[in-house]
Formats: sequence, C-alpha cells, structure tokens
Amino acid sequence: MVNLTIDGKKIKVDEGTTILQAAEKNDIKIPSLCFHPLLEPYAACRVCVVEVIKKGESEIVTSCNTKVTEGIEVKTDSERAMKARELNVEMLLAQAPDAEAVQELAKDLGIKETRFEVKDPDEKCILCGLCVRACEEVVGADAISFNERGAERTVSTPFGQESEACIGCTACSFFCPTGAITVEDLLGREVIHDELHLGPSSAVRVPIRQAVPMVPFIDEEACIHFKTGECKLCEQVCEKEAVDHDMEDEEVKVEVGSVVLASGFKPFDAKRIQAYGYGRFNNVITALEFEKLVNASGPTGGKIRLANGKEPESVGIVHCVGSRDENYNEYCSRVCCMYSLKFAHLLNEKTNAQVYDFYIDMRCFGKGYEEFYHRLLEEGTKFIRGRVSEITDVAVTEKEEGKLVIRVEDTLIGAMRRIPVDMVVLSIGLEPGIDQNEIARVFNISCSQDTFFLERHPKLGPVSTFSDGIFLAGACQSPKDIPDTVAQAGAAASEALSLADKGTFELEPVTAEIDKDLCSGCQICVSLCPFTAITYNEEEGISEINDALCKGCGTCVSACPSGASQQRHYRDNQIFAEIEGIFIE
Amino acid sequence: MAKLTIDDLKKIKEKAKRRTELREGGDYRAKVTVHMGTCGIAAGARKIMNAFMDELEQSKSSDILLTNSGCAGLCSREPMATVELSGQAPIKYIDLTEQKTKEIFQKHVIGGNVVKKYALGKGSEKTDA
Amino acid sequence: MEKANEKAYRLHLMVCAGTACVSNNSFGIKDALEKEINKQGLEDEVLVVTTGCNGFCERGPLLVVQPGNVFYQQLEEKDIPHLVEEHFLKGRPVKKLMYKPPKEKSPIPILSDINFFKKQVLIALRNRGLIDPEKIDEYIARDGYSALAKALTEMEPKQIINEVKDSGLRGRGGGGFPTGLKWEFVSKSSTNGQERYIVCNGDEGDPGAFMDRSILEADPHAVIEGMIIGAKAIGASKGFVYVRNEYPLAVSRLIKALEQARGYGLLGKDILGSGFDFDIKIVRGAGAFVCGEETALMASIEGRLGEPRPRPPYPAEKGLWDNPTCINNVETWANVPVIINRSADWYSNIGTKTSKGTKVFSLVGKINNTGLVEVPMGITLREIIEDIGGGIPDGKKFKAVQTGGPSGGCIPAKNIDLPIDYESLTEVGSMMGSGGMVVMDEDTCMVDVAKYFISFTQNESCGKCTPCREGTKAMYEILDRITKGEGKEEDIDLLEDLAKSIKDSALCGLGNTAPNPVLTTLKYFKDEYEIHIKEKKCPAHVCRELNTYTIDEKTCLDVGHGCDLCRKNCSANAISGETKTAHQVIQEKCIKCGVCYDVCRFDAVKVK
Repeated sequence: MVNLTIDGKKIKVDEGTTILQAAEKNDIKIPSLCFHPLLEPYAACRVCVVEVIKKGESEIVTSCNTKVTEGIEVKTDSERAMKARELNVEMLLAQAPDAEAVQELAKDLGIKETRFEVKDPDEKCILCGLCVRACEEVVGADAISFNERGAERTVSTPFGQESEACIGCTACSFFCPTGAITVEDLLGREVIHDELHLGPSSAVRVPIRQAVPMVPFIDEEACIHFKTGECKLCEQVCEKEAVDHDMEDEEVKVEVGSVVLASGFKPFDAKRIQAYGYGRFNNVITALEFEKLVNASGPTGGKIRLANGKEPESVGIVHCVGSRDENYNEYCSRVCCMYSLKFAHLLNEKTNAQVYDFYIDMRCFGKGYEEFYHRLLEEGTKFIRGRVSEITDVAVTEKEEGKLVIRVEDTLIGAMRRIPVDMVVLSIGLEPGIDQNEIARVFNISCSQDTFFLERHPKLGPVSTFSDGIFLAGACQSPKDIPDTVAQAGAAASEALSLADKGTFELEPVTAEIDKDLCSGCQICVSLCPFTAITYNEEEGISEINDALCKGCGTCVSACPSGASQQRHYRDNQIFAEIEGIFIE
Repeated sequence: MAKLTIDDLKKIKEKAKRRTELREGGDYRAKVTVHMGTCGIAAGARKIMNAFMDELEQSKSSDILLTNSGCAGLCSREPMATVELSGQAPIKYIDLTEQKTKEIFQKHVIGGNVVKKYALGKGSEKTDA
Repeated sequence: MEKANEKAYRLHLMVCAGTACVSNNSFGIKDALEKEINKQGLEDEVLVVTTGCNGFCERGPLLVVQPGNVFYQQLEEKDIPHLVEEHFLKGRPVKKLMYKPPKEKSPIPILSDINFFKKQVLIALRNRGLIDPEKIDEYIARDGYSALAKALTEMEPKQIINEVKDSGLRGRGGGGFPTGLKWEFVSKSSTNGQERYIVCNGDEGDPGAFMDRSILEADPHAVIEGMIIGAKAIGASKGFVYVRNEYPLAVSRLIKALEQARGYGLLGKDILGSGFDFDIKIVRGAGAFVCGEETALMASIEGRLGEPRPRPPYPAEKGLWDNPTCINNVETWANVPVIINRSADWYSNIGTKTSKGTKVFSLVGKINNTGLVEVPMGITLREIIEDIGGGIPDGKKFKAVQTGGPSGGCIPAKNIDLPIDYESLTEVGSMMGSGGMVVMDEDTCMVDVAKYFISFTQNESCGKCTPCREGTKAMYEILDRITKGEGKEEDIDLLEDLAKSIKDSALCGLGNTAPNPVLTTLKYFKDEYEIHIKEKKCPAHVCRELNTYTIDEKTCLDVGHGCDLCRKNCSANAISGETKTAHQVIQEKCIKCGVCYDVCRFDAVKVK
C-alpha cells in the first residue's frame, strides 16, 4: 500500500494505482478527455494535469498515467495546475469549438470564450486519439491513425481512402467523446449485399429483426475477437456478465414422446437466375434485403435508399423468382404475391416512387387478400402481367441512362416492353431447407417429389407422418404463409398433446418378433428394417425388435434366412393352417 | 577479409600509422629539405628527391621529415639539399647526385655524421615567412 | 587503392569533404589537384586524401597540407595549378590562399596558429581532418578500435560502466543525463529473456546545427566503436543508428564504415575473438524533428507513427519492442572510446565540476568564423564568440546568443562571461541542447527571433498533446500579430502564461522546451516587446510592417544625384521624383517591402 495526500485528504491505495484512479476512488474529480478505462493512458489532452509535490519539489504531471508513490502530495486544484488545465481547455475550445465535451468542461472551469484563433467553428475532433487507440488496442484492426502533424493533424484511414483494414465495427464512434465520428459516416459507403447483410452490421446482433426469442448472438465471422484474439469489449461492458466468448456448440439429449418438425425453408438463391443480375447490380435486391431495408431498426432506419444513398424514383417488383418455373421450382411458393403487394404498398407509402409489379398470376387466396390487391390497384401501382426475361443496365434510349431496365413480355397487350427503374426487388420463392433430406432420414419420414416433407395423407392426416409421433408444421411441409403455418402448427401441437394426454400408446397388434433360439445374429434384418426397429444385442448375439417402432411391414420376416423372424398372428404355421382350412371344404 | 584478432589489429595500426604519421605534425629527429626552385629542378632536383624518398622508405624510419623548398640562392651549385638533425645546425649539401644522396642519407641522416666532402657549410638563411 | 595504401608519400593533402565544403565544390578541387599533380609528375610523392569536416566551414573549400599543417582556404579550381607548382613542387607556400583574419594584414599559414583552431580541444572530433573517413585502416592508425580491444578483453562490463560513470560524461544530445548511470540502469533492468538494444540518436534537427552530421561524416568508426563498447557494457547484441535521410553523405559513409567493420570482424559474431556478438543496423529517419525525442525515435524504428509517449517507463526499462534500450547521441558515443583508452581520470580533468569533457558546437549566425568547434566545458561565451568566432562582422555590436536550438533560449550580451556547462545554461533560461549556437548582432529583432523558433516548433510539433499542438500555434499567432503591429497590451501576459503552462504541461521534451525562446526573450528583452506593442515600432527594423521608410532629400540629391534606382524598383509606385531630383516616399502607397532601402547605394533611404 502507498500513502499519499490528495487535496489535503490522506489516502492509502494499492501500489501501481494511478493518481487519477486514486482520486476517483476517493470521490475527488479530475477532469480528463483522452482517458478511457479500457485503453492504455495516452496523456495527450493534458486536461487531467495535477500538481505533485515530492520531497519539496513541485511538478505538473498528468494524473491518468502517473502512478502514485509513497508520500507524495497531490493538488488537483492548485493555482499552477488549474492554470495549465484552463489554458489547455481554452486552447481545445479554439481548436474544436463544436465539441460538447469541451464546451461543458470550459463551462465548469468558468471559461466563457477562447482568446485564441478559431480555425473551424464546426470542428468536433479534439484529437484525443481514443478512436485510434480503440481501433489498435481493442479491435486490433489498425484501420485508422493520425495523419499529418502539429496543427494539421487529423484522424483518418491511410491516404484518406476507404480502407480494407476497417471492419466496420464502429468501435471508433463508440469511443469518440465528442461525436466527431458518427455511424452515418461509416455507413456512407456502397451497399454490399449478402444474403442478410446490408452494409456493415455489428458482430453482436439479433439474427432477424423480429426474431423470437430476441436474444443476441455473436457472429464468429464478423467478431474481432475471433479474428485477432483482442477486443472482448462486449464482455467488459455487459453488466450481467452474460457474454462468454469461449462458449461452444453442445449436444443436448432430451427424451420425448413425440416431435413436431418445423424446420422451415430456405429462400431461393437469386444469383441462380443470372439474367436478373443479382450480385452484379447494386440496386437489384432480394425481398429479404428489402425487408431489412424497410425495417425501422434496419441500417437506414427504415428509409428506402439506393446504394448511393438516394431515394429511388421507380421500383420494379418481380414475382415468381425461382417459383412456377420449370428451370428451378415448378411449384408456387404461395407467399410471394402477397408480400410483393405489401412491398408495393410500403413503397407507395414511404416514397414517391412509381412501382411496377411484374406477375404471372395474382394469387390472392386468403381472407381479405383480394381486397388488398384492389387497394393497390387504386394506389397507382402498375401491374404488368408477364414473366421478366432480363434485367440489364445497358441503356438503349436516353431515358434508360443510369437505370436498370426490366425486359418483359406484357401478355395483356402482347408486346415486349422495356421498363427503366432505379431499383428492382426480386420476390424470391421458398425452397426446402438445406438439410431437408438429412432430417427426413433421421426421423424416418418421407419427402414428396419437391423435397418438402410428405404428410401421411393430404386430407386425413395433413400434419402427421408415416412415423408415429412425428408431426409437421409450417414451410417444411410445403410453402405457406404465416396464417397457414400457425394453423398447421396448432394442429400438430394438439396431435402431439393428444398422445401425451392419453398417457398410453396403442400398439399395432401385427408386428414382427424374433425367436431367440433360432436367430443366428446375421443382422441382415437390422439393415433392412425401414423403421429402424431392429437392433443387434451384442451380449446375446441376436437381433431384437422394438415393439413400439415395428410397423409390421414383414420385410424382416421374408428376409430372415433362419426363419427366426415371424409376424405375429401371421406365423408360417398359422398361414399354412388357414390355407389348409380353405382346402378342407 | 578475414576476422581480426587483437594482434592483427595492432599490425594494421602499425602499418597504417607509418603512412599517416606525417599528418600528425609531431617532432622529427631529422628534416631533409630538397631545394626545388626552377634552377634546382632544371639541375635534377627531382631525381634527388626520389632518391631520398626511396632511402626513406627502405629505412622504415618514421622520425624523418622529407620536404622541399624553393631556390636557395646558389643556383650554380644545384641540386642542393639541407639536412637538419634536431638540436644541430643545418648542413647544406651541393652538386648532388643520386649516389651522393644515398651516402648522405646513410651517413648523416641515419648515422649522424656530417659528410663533409659534399657539404657547402653550416647554417641557413633567416626567413621571415 | 591498395597501391596507395602501401606507398609512402612526401606530402599528404587533406581535402575537406564535409557537407559544407562538398557543396562548395571540394570534390572539384580534389579532382583538379590530382590532375595537376599528375601533370607535374608528383603522383608518387603527393597523396590527396578526402577527410571529414574540418570545422571551419565559413572558409570552405579547405585544404590542409601535411606535414607542416599549412592551411589553405576558399580555394577555387583556377588556383590549383599555381598552388601545385609553387608549394608542392617548389616548396613555396602560397600566401594569398591562406587565411587572413579580418582586421589583420598578414595571413596565418599554420592551422594551429589560427585562433579558430587554437582554443579547441578535440575529443569527439579527434580525427577530424586527419583521416579519410572511408578508410578503416586510417582510423585504426589513430588508436581506432584499441579501446574496443581493451573493453572486450581486459574489462568486465561493470568496469566499463564504472569508467564511463567516473568520467562524468553526460548525454550530448541535450538532456545531459549522466551516460554511465544510464548504462547502469539498462544493464540492471530485467529483459525477461529478451534482448537489450543500443541506439544511436543521429536525428539532428535543430536549425543551424550539424554536429552529429559532421561526426558521422568525418569519423563514423568512432561512433561505431563507442556503440560496440556500450553494447558490451550493457549486454546488448543489436544496435540501431537512427540517422536522418537528409544526410546522404553521413548515411553512405556509415554504410561503408559498417561494411568495413564487419569485414574486419569488428561487428558480427565473436568480435576480436572475445566471444562477444554485436551488429548494427541503420534506420533512416524521414525528417520529423520530433523523432529526435527518444520515445518517438523508438516508435519510428519500430515502424510506428513517430510520436512521443509518456515517460516513465524510460527506454532503459521499456524501450524498443518493450525491451531495455540504451539511447545515446552521436557525440556521446564518439566520446566513449577516448574515455576507455585514456581513462576516466584524464577525461574528468577537462571541464567543470558538473560538466566534464568537451562539447561540440555549431557556431553560426552573425559571426565571422562560422563552423564547427569543440571546446572544453566551462569555456566562456566570450572566448567562443570573440576568440574562436572572431567576433561580429562589420563592427556590429553583439546582442545575444541563442543556444540549444529551438528548445533553447537567448542569452543576452550581459552574460557573455558565462561559463558554458549544463547547469549555467539552464540557469539563464537556455539549455545545452545538442549544441547549436546562433550569434545575433544589434540588427536582430528579438521578437522576430522568438517568432522564428516558435514557427519552427509549431511546424515540427507532432500534434499529440494539446499544449504543444495548440499552444505553439497560439504563441505563434500572438507573436505574429505583435510583429505586424497588431499586438495588444495584454498579449505579453498571455504569452507568458501560455509559455509557462506549455512548459509545465506538455508531454515531451519538445513541448516542454518550446517556450524557452519566448520566455528568455521576454525575460531579457521585454522592452523590445513593449516597443512593438505600444509604439508599433521595431527597434532593429526587422519587422518591416512596423517600419517607416523616408528618403533624406539632401543625401539623395547631393550624393546620389537622384539616381532614380529606388523609384524604378518600387513595385507599389510609392516613390515620387525623377533623375537628378530628390525623391520622396508616398507613405499612403508604401507597402513597406524595404526594397528601396536595400537598393539605395547612398544610404539616402532611412528606416524608422
């Protein structure tokens, strides 16, 4: 422990404590601008200066980086210290007059205005270097640094160019004490689109805006910690200590009586239709990207903007992208018509853009849907019936210059048309989930021709499968909209519940059984059983049938070389007896 | 170049020192001045100078200063040279040849005995430079 | 070259090839000499040697003839044939090419008789003018690397440190920290299994200072030898010389010297068979003044932005890549071999009680003999200015001397008998600094001087800390308006407050000392500030905007017969009159450029 006095107050602190920390612990306030507890002291703003008297010699030091030593006397408000502090703040006030932090500090110190020349009244940056140090020390990206020297000094990327080193983490803006670096500045770059990305987004985020539950996750691919081993800033700021970077995926075993499969769908990859130019043209975006763009908590705050930040003057919405198309998916995705109409409505509401809707058939089958379609017709959306053949940026006329041109056969007038627009939204269809077949295999259920899960019967068992206790809900069974999904999910849940509620389970009487004495343990039946009902008992060297799983299909019975597997009630001798009975007559 | 040992370093020093010692402006045991005015040069003072230089190099001594000066005034008896041992009066030699030069160097400069048969006399003119 | 090395020559012509002489065509002189010597058939008798800076730069290009120490100066190529024939062939030194002090009639033929050289004591510059810096053998001939041999074989690291400590050698870069003590700190700080480093600070940036450049150019091996000895003392295996890229000659000579030393095994593995390993790398600085500050210099070596960081931790503890590092200035390193060779006792006999040895100064400004001088500590300013420097030109009065570069202060004429050492300079508000010495005469405006130095530090401030970045700018703005006649009465107080606050609260040495020129001029020449502000006049007539130009009609007409030169040159058409009539200045039109004053050959234009 080290003894010292600060402003006459006797204090004892641990060795290695800085004067600033010691003062803070004892409720003595020393103002500072360039200090941040998460970063190494930089001692540049010289606002935290104090007078230190050591063995009779007085010295002005910065409290943020000076460690306490035995017996020193610190004066935070001596005349000498205050003079230096006041002048430094007054000079900062001339350098960055628009920095609120400096204005407040000046007010506290009783400085009304600066006596020094003001170069730029709108300057906010006080060159404290917090952003630079955050980028280096915390993020490890080293994307920004100081440029020039002396009074010309500025913070910037190398040569002031957009830097590849910047990962868009916005840490600099977070650390900036004066608001000189804002996130808008950072986002003022071309929209980069990826499946769900629209511009840089935080590595810690909620997967989708309306996700349930609303729990954030860490995107390992974007997280600085997983790239550089540094940062862990979120861990330090989370008061609940809920962030754990070492957490790993784990397998959890749960024993259940029944399972409802709701594994969802995969959006159609618009890049597959090259003629539509998705990925080549910045302003051709998918429905999901549009959804993110228009969301109030999205990157633009709900404003509909082109990649260059301007509002579109015309927008084309293309239906049936990847649906009702023998080259991709023959089925109708069922939801696109309605969400496309919703987009058209939002565009009409939020912008002055002319909206074109390119459809094959307008499928408004739900309750109130047709009425919504009529509303859109009245709102002035132009509906063009025909499949879009191409989206191009090659202009033929002056009007098309700088625009995206949609080529389409208007089947109602029977002619090819070229429609120039600023933005194209592709209404992509729904496809079976990525690991649909794998899931089907695990749960031992079947898929229909289009790879969606096959229900037991379209009318009599629309939520059941051929495996007992396995039920289906939502788009994994076939494309559906939310009302249908909710209805089906309710049905599946009640089916599952009815099993649990009963407490007992009725087995099929006609199942197979293996005669222990006859079984040779050849395991031919094990691999043949379509319901994985047969397991091999290594201890006894025989195969066994799980009665609950066996559906009595008889495959194993006919395949068993030793005749050990027999179908109950249909044993060989029973059948032969029946045959004999027939012939007695 | 090979790595040096401390002995090598000393050897280099000795060798290099002999060449550069001249610059140090230290005390010389003997000073030989060859008079090289137009008359001297015409009479062959260059040869005399070279002969002294050869002798000096062969003797490997480092305390002898060889220098030149202008006409000594006695143009008819050129080439001339003055040998001055420290603490002694300078001796002027006249009508020099290379053979004589060698003898003077060995006997007077090294040996300390004036070669009287070639000498003009003792002393030097007062200068006011 | 080998042939030249083996042969003995009758005459050695030491041609100065320091930067100043080179820029005065000393290589041309060298070529002319060689050509002429060949023509006269003297090539086997006369050797031409290029040396480092001789110091008497004012008089370049220089030539010293050995033996005899005959000093020739201000040579031109056309002088060479005559010189070769007369002196080197016929033995008649050429008087008209010798140095003639001002006010004296006859020239001084012998170098050591010239006052400029007489009072100097050469330790750091011990080999100047005597060796060819590009030949390691010539350095060895003058006891070179013998101190290294001694340190490596006969001395323990501790003994070396003690010897340097006892010698009283202090950092020659400006701070004046005892060198031996620094070495001891470095040798004692823990390395955690890492290396220790040796750094030579050759980032000389003071305006008008060229000590380090000269040493590196004239005697690079002295610095290298000092560094190897230091490395042995502190246990380092790697060294860096940080030298600015604006010194191409120093860099090329250093590169050559390092190659030669490596060739002789004086650098690298197992130096002189002692088992000690050490090597040196050159790092070229990009010319930022602040990189002379040790923490900024280290950042620059590491490849980071050259800006200082707070100390402690000192480099001795956490230097390059956080390892203990010993940084000393070029001149300090050059002193080390001599101390080891000639003992601490011998060294500490030179100088004063607290400041031992000698210091190299670059003597510039309003002085007759500008150049590089090495003098013992404790010599008075008077001796330097009057004896070595030969006084002020044109019979002007000595007003002040500025020492220590932009970090130093102005010492007024009344302190001319001040003995020069670290403490006494600090006491009068200046500092030793790296050794710049700018002499000023009565025609110097002290406000303008302060403005000049502040504009320098303002441009060179790295911009990291507020007081230095904004404070020097603010001081410059105030000084600028004072010199333009827009100063306010409260400006003096504001300047003083600013200067004190910057001195107190700046981060590094650059900022801490930047206000010194302002503080010392305010202390000794406050009246000049007041005249500028209150009377809107510049007593030295330097601040042109404060001047009033008039023409003395009588002189103009009687002496100059109305020559009309001033009117022709006036860009503002502010002069009336015509040939053979008296001229007048039309004050309303005058832009105070001062051209009329400069062009008038009859002193008819007066400035007030």
